[in-house]
Amino acid sequence: MHRQDTLQDWWEIELQGMPHFDMAMKRVYAWFENEIIDRPPVRFMAHNAFLERASEDIAHFSPAEKKNWWFDTELQVDLFVKSIAGRQFHGETFPVYFPNLGPDVYAAFYDTELEFGEITSYSVPFIQQWEDADQLVLDQNNQYFQKIEELTRHAIERCEGQFMVGYTDLHPGLDCVAAWRDPLQLCYDLYDNPDQVRRLADLAIADFEYIYNHFDTMLKEKGQLSVSWMGIPSFGRMHIPSCDFSALISQEFFEQFGLPILQCESKTMTHNIFHIDGKGVAKHLEAILSVPEIHALQWVQGVGDDYPIMQWISFIKDLQARDIPVIVDLSTEDIDDFMDAMDPKGLFLWLATENELEEIEILKRIERWT
Amino acid sequence: MDDGKHDLQYALFIHLNLGVAMEQYLEQISQAVVKGDQNATIELVQAAVDAQVDANTIMQKGLIPAMSDVGRLYEQGEYFVPEMLISARAMKAGLEIIKPLLAGSDLKPAGTVAVGTVKGDLHDIGKNLVGIMLEGAGFSVHDLGTDVSPEQFIEAIRTNQVDLIGMSALLTTTMPMMETTTNAITRAGLRNQVKIIIGGAPITQAYADKIGADGFAPDASQAVKLAINLVNQR
Repeated sequence: MHRQDTLQDWWEIELQGMPHFDMAMKRVYAWFENEIIDRPPVRFMAHNAFLERASEDIAHFSPAEKKNWWFDTELQVDLFVKSIAGRQFHGETFPVYFPNLGPDVYAAFYDTELEFGEITSYSVPFIQQWEDADQLVLDQNNQYFQKIEELTRHAIERCEGQFMVGYTDLHPGLDCVAAWRDPLQLCYDLYDNPDQVRRLADLAIADFEYIYNHFDTMLKEKGQLSVSWMGIPSFGRMHIPSCDFSALISQEFFEQFGLPILQCESKTMTHNIFHIDGKGVAKHLEAILSVPEIHALQWVQGVGDDYPIMQWISFIKDLQARDIPVIVDLSTEDIDDFMDAMDPKGLFLWLATENELEEIEILKRIERWT
Repeated sequence: MDDGKHDLQYALFIHLNLGVAMEQYLEQISQAVVKGDQNATIELVQAAVDAQVDANTIMQKGLIPAMSDVGRLYEQGEYFVPEMLISARAMKAGLEIIKPLLAGSDLKPAGTVAVGTVKGDLHDIGKNLVGIMLEGAGFSVHDLGTDVSPEQFIEAIRTNQVDLIGMSALLTTTMPMMETTTNAITRAGLRNQVKIIIGGAPITQAYADKIGADGFAPDASQAVKLAINLVNQR
């Protein structure tokens, strides 16, 4: 565990809807250390909630109109501000806006294209011939980089006392390579052109620290914390390593191509929460946990047959037994069964709720959980 | 009499050795496909063809069983997507060699399938993988792409004599489009002509039952098994 910042490094944040900010942060920091102050931290929020609400409005848009919608800086921040208006944020639900152009935006910083849907964007594969890779250079004047900067600046101007501003979802490494190349093509490349994959993987991590520092500096200069789409802030340097592409590949390939990137991207952070996007990624758990800088895990059991959480109890208990803090996505129907089956140690609960009364009631139940 | 006896013995000798050779070819072709060795598959299929091994036998007893093995290895967690892909590619390369020989025969594809990711969803990994594996199992596959509207699925059924539709969705927000598409196919009076299978991260058997699809497959390997079963029921 590499927590370098201490309580002395904390600064004051005032948020109208979250008068208990300090206590919430203490619970989060206790969780980072696999400890509990009074109860495990709890976050109430549906993923992409305000985007999902807007998705119906833009479903009939043309691709160009969709891009314009995503690129409308004022509208995007407005949508977020409206979504939190008058709300009280219970538990460890931090009101966080993070500029979002989809998970492949890191790849698009190298002058590749994104295609926009209703709630996410998709990378247009750029590398058809290996020579195409020679054109991949980080471009801060690129439209996506500029837009993320603009969204960040605009949100910072409007956030005072209302919400926090975070940095965008950064996927360096194999996810970035998959975006440049196309995921299935990359699967072939692992066998056909491993040296080219290695070259691209090196490129896909080379500027990560610079990019991270760029946005981290923008935010810290304005008194913001280090936080992103997960909504879990740190006064130090918080990062969410992930490798969704790894769900497709063997442990051998992950260790060969993914692990060196994970080691690299996590090394300068104070808090790394690895995003395990389902059982496909979980097969690499031992490799992921071999990186000492990985502080905690987010377990996403997924949807469909991988839902609900109760089928993953033994997996979560195993993580607890190994003293690994873990975020667990619960549905409100599962709370009682889950609390009966589990010890609260090391858990950070995420719940999608309907209203504040429900949140208050759930918190009371969780306070009694020992 | 003696000559006749010798002829018979010679014929038996040739038959047995050709049989042994054929078995060896088929086994080696199968191994090459399972290993995903495209070059070896091409060489072995060509050698088998040169040795007068029947093209249909090469396909039915060499190439297709190999892909079944690949599917089994995937389900057992020994193979992953890259291994499936290179095997399917090797299989396809072998198939290309025997295709001209099959053209003159009465052999038909295992079925005709149209696959697509439903409207509003641009994810294509799962859909592509299902298409590749279905081709590997001898199906004729029409890939309709992503963001496919109900009207495009209907058009595909009408123009391609499709036996089976495969719909994919990765988002909970786009999965209702599977029901919309299924209903549109019914309204177009085509529901009895096609089987419908669905898949994607948020999809379950219960959802397939709810929207009146004929089946659900959690991965590409099982989609192939499901497709074979459903097409055979027709």
